[in-house]
Amino acid sequence: MALPKFDVLCPDSLDEACDMLESHASEGIKILAGGTDLLVNIKLPVIAPRAYVLESSTSQLVSTHSEELWKDHSGPLAPPSPAYLLSLHRLRNELERIEELPDGSLLVGALTTARTLQMSELVRLKWAALAEGADALGSPLVRARGTLGGNICNARPAADLFVPSVALGAKLGVVSIHGYEVIDASEFALAPGKTRLQSGQILVEIVYPASPPGTGSAYYKLAQRKALDISVVGAGVRLTIDSLLKITSVSLALGAVGPTPIVAKTVIDVLLGKKLDDSTLKLAATAAASDATPIDDHRGSALYRKQMIEVLTRKILTTAYLRARRSL
Amino acid sequence: MKKIISLTVNGKVVEVAVEPGRTLLELIRDDLNLPGTKLGCGLGDCGSCTVLMDGIPTFSCLTLAIQAEGCRIETVESLSQDGHLSKLQEKFIEKGAIQCGFCTPGMLMTSTELLRRNPGPDEHEIREAISGNLCRCTGYQKIVEAVQGHSEEGEK
Ligand SMILES: Cc1cc2nc3c(=O)[nH]c(=O)nc-3n(C[C@H](O)[C@H](O)[C@H](O)COP(=O)(O)OP(=O)(O)OC[C@H]3O[C@@H](n4cnc5c(N)ncnc54)[C@H](O)[C@@H]3O)c2cc1C
Ligand code: FES
Ligand code: FES
Repeated sequence: MALPKFDVLCPDSLDEACDMLESHASEGIKILAGGTDLLVNIKLPVIAPRAYVLESSTSQLVSTHSEELWKDHSGPLAPPSPAYLLSLHRLRNELERIEELPDGSLLVGALTTARTLQMSELVRLKWAALAEGADALGSPLVRARGTLGGNICNARPAADLFVPSVALGAKLGVVSIHGYEVIDASEFALAPGKTRLQSGQILVEIVYPASPPGTGSAYYKLAQRKALDISVVGAGVRLTIDSLLKITSVSLALGAVGPTPIVAKTVIDVLLGKKLDDSTLKLAATAAASDATPIDDHRGSALYRKQMIEVLTRKILTTAYLRARRSL
Repeated sequence: MKKIISLTVNGKVVEVAVEPGRTLLELIRDDLNLPGTKLGCGLGDCGSCTVLMDGIPTFSCLTLAIQAEGCRIETVESLSQDGHLSKLQEKFIEKGAIQCGFCTPGMLMTSTELLRRNPGPDEHEIREAISGNLCRCTGYQKIVEAVQGHSEEGEK
């Protein structure tokens, strides 16, 4: 399967990258990280070859993603492939890193691959939901190339690194020629494939709040097979408990049950100040299901998804609570 | 516009001019004449195009040649030395882990990396490692046995 014509720009620094994005904005330019979403979309008619779109509809010159899932390549209104790809591969030294900051938070560079996240003992110990998202993503080959930044910016509602990042309360550090900006992961996605990222902006780092004693997290993906499948439902949670084992903070995110990863807000009221016993678990599961707006599709019906949200919510809460107790 | 990149392929430094849209797979097969690496789906699903890039199993069909600049690439052609197949290749033959052979180069590269990182993998670890490499013929069992058989006897 051949790729259409485009030019690839290879900046040696972030400043150069920002300048290039700005100066080629009008011709259509897309950032290339691992390419596991972008190159598939360009090869399939999800992002149609430029010439085709120019002929069929001259007004369709948008450089954002189509609404389609990464593999559903149906729509005739696919946006044109960009004239330029800005490859970040020379910025690996700068943007591929995992670092615990002095305040205990975790900084992950946008080019860090799912494979590297999986292999990091630090991430698995203190930000387990992120490690488990990485475990669930695609296959070993996809994890070797697919990056955290690409997973978040691609903004699929089922994205296996994005959903746990929302649960963990991540902050996204973004640069452009106009400077540095921080965006909450929970507010980043607007619709499938659409984000708050303005043209000219690059996601450079993702910062996860500290994981003090009494904190635990978990992510679980339900799919029809273990490798190479998109979730029917995904769910991630982070919670903190006090010495009496009562929950003092909690954040739960759901994937594949709405147009973007969803923060389950009613769960918070159910859980705050409580120990995690059977009746609380049950209430929390029902609350989570009521927060979601799943649809019927070939991966599962809306009803099935609602029921599975309950099952997954119980599962991840139990796991995260256990981890929180162990870390007290 | 073509770009000149330099990379190491099977131990040799090569400098080539590539079209920006050229995949690493096309570079390896068509420009460097190393046809061992196969094109299956072209979309990251099957793993028949797997090579090692800086030691990591990588689908060359979804990697631009330009993205591999400065990297160390190993293809299936690097496994045999002076006309002798590697131990792992011998095991694939001995255990019947090859039928049509189309997945074999990718399977070999993925398993080679697994064995470097984990010389004595158990069945679960082997199945997990090759879960991005599809095989339509063998049902995987023979491939698992070949990798296991190799690790029982140790590296050549
Ligand atoms: C076979 C296969 C299976 C897959 N399975 C899964 C799965 O199970 N779960 C899952 O979540 N995903 C899956 N994916 C999708 C994909 O692998 C992941 O979303 C991956 O994390 C994307 O990262 P990337 O670096 O490859 O992104 P790219 O393809 O390089 O980029 C994706 C998008 O983000 C933009 N972008 C990338 N980096 C930045 C940045 N730093 N700043 C601004 N914009 C940026 C790009 O312009 C593009 O629009 C699969 C893909 C394939 C091919
Ligand atoms: S040909 Fe590359 S993954 Fe199928
Ligand atoms: S031997 Fe035929 S695909 Fe594996």
